[in-house]
Amino acid sequence: MDPNGTSISHPANVQEVQEFASNYHQAPWFPAENAGMAKKEVKTVDSDMSNGAVAPPAAVEAPSTADTSIHASGIVPLLQNIVATVNLDTRLDLKTIALHARNAEYNPKRFAAVIMRIREPKTTALIFASGKMVVTGAKSEDDSKLASRKYARIIQKLGFNAKFSEFKIQNIVGSCDIKFPIRLEGLASRHHMFSSYEPELFPGLIYRMMKPKIVLLIFVSGKIVLTGAKVREEIYQAFELIYPVLSDFRKT
Amino acid sequence: MANATQNFYELYRNTSIGQSLAETLDNLISSRQIEPQLAMRVMATFDQNVAAVLGDKVKARCTFKGHLDTYRFCDEVWTFIIKDVNFKMEQNHLEKAERVKIVACQSKEKVGA
Repeated sequence: MDPNGTSISHPANVQEVQEFASNYHQAPWFPAENAGMAKKEVKTVDSDMSNGAVAPPAAVEAPSTADTSIHASGIVPLLQNIVATVNLDTRLDLKTIALHARNAEYNPKRFAAVIMRIREPKTTALIFASGKMVVTGAKSEDDSKLASRKYARIIQKLGFNAKFSEFKIQNIVGSCDIKFPIRLEGLASRHHMFSSYEPELFPGLIYRMMKPKIVLLIFVSGKIVLTGAKVREEIYQAFELIYPVLSDFRKT
Repeated sequence: MANATQNFYELYRNTSIGQSLAETLDNLISSRQIEPQLAMRVMATFDQNVAAVLGDKVKARCTFKGHLDTYRFCDEVWTFIIKDVNFKMEQNHLEKAERVKIVACQSKEKVGA
C-alpha cells in the first residue's frame, strides 16, 4: 500500500540530488525563477503551435475550455487521483467499525487499518485506530473533501465522537496525452540531472522537476503522468514547463 | 465459527438438513431417549461430515452473476450481499434471486496454517 498514491519508488541518490540542486539554475532550458520570463518562453511555443510547426491540432485536448493564460500548450492535464488525510481526533475500535459499517475490510494480520469504500464519490479510506484516516481515489479537491466528510459521518454514526479536523491534500496525480511520440534517450541525456531512464526496469522516463517539485513519468507514446503536487496548479505549471521540452524531443 | 475442540465450522447447522437434525435431537432429548451430551456429539459429527461431503462428494456446479451491494471482511469471514442474481445450474437450469447473502470462511486446511 502506498499512502502517497504514487507508484514511483525510485531510490533517491543523495549525491545526484545535491548535484542536481547546485546545477539546477544553470540548466539551459529552465526559464529562471522569474515568472515573466517563464511566460515568455511558453508563449514562444504557443506561437509555434499556431504555425502548426510544433504540434498538430490533435494535441489540443480541450480546446474550448483551455484557458491559455494557464494552459499555454492548449492541453489541460486531467486529475486522476487525490490523496488526503484527516484527523478524526478520537481513538477508534476498528473491529466495531468493520462489523457494523458496510463495505469494510479489516484483516489486522495483514494491515492495521480498516479499508472502507463508498460509491459516491468513488473513493477508498484507510481508517486507523489512532483516529487518523487516509482518503484516496477522488478526482477533484471537492470530491476528496466530500468523501472525507462522508467517512467521518459514517464513523460518527457508529457512535464515535469523531471530528473532522486537519483535512489536508497530500498528493495530486494528473495525466495527459501530448499525442506525439518522444525520444526519451535524447531527453534523458540532455536533462540527465533531472531524468532517470532505465528501459530495462521501467519503460517511462522519470523526470524529477525541482520547481514546482513534481515528478513526471514520460512515455514514448506521448502519455505523461505528473505526481507529487499539493495543489492542482503545480501539475499545470509542471506540464507547461515540460511541454516545450518534449516538443524539442519529438520523434520524427 | 470453528468448534473450539474440533475446529469445524458450525456454519451448516442453519441449513434445512442441519435444522431438521437439531429438531430431531431435541425431540429425542425431551422424550429422554438420549442425553444432551450425545446430541452435541451428533451435531459435531454433522459439522465435520457436511463439510467433508460438500468438499469431496458433491460434483454439481453452478455459476451466478449479480451486482455486489455490500461486502465485509472481519474475523476472517467474508460477507457479501449481492443483488439481482442470476444462477446458472446444470442442464441449463436458470434461477433468479433479488438478494443473496454469501458468508465465506477460511477453508479447513488454512485454519491450522
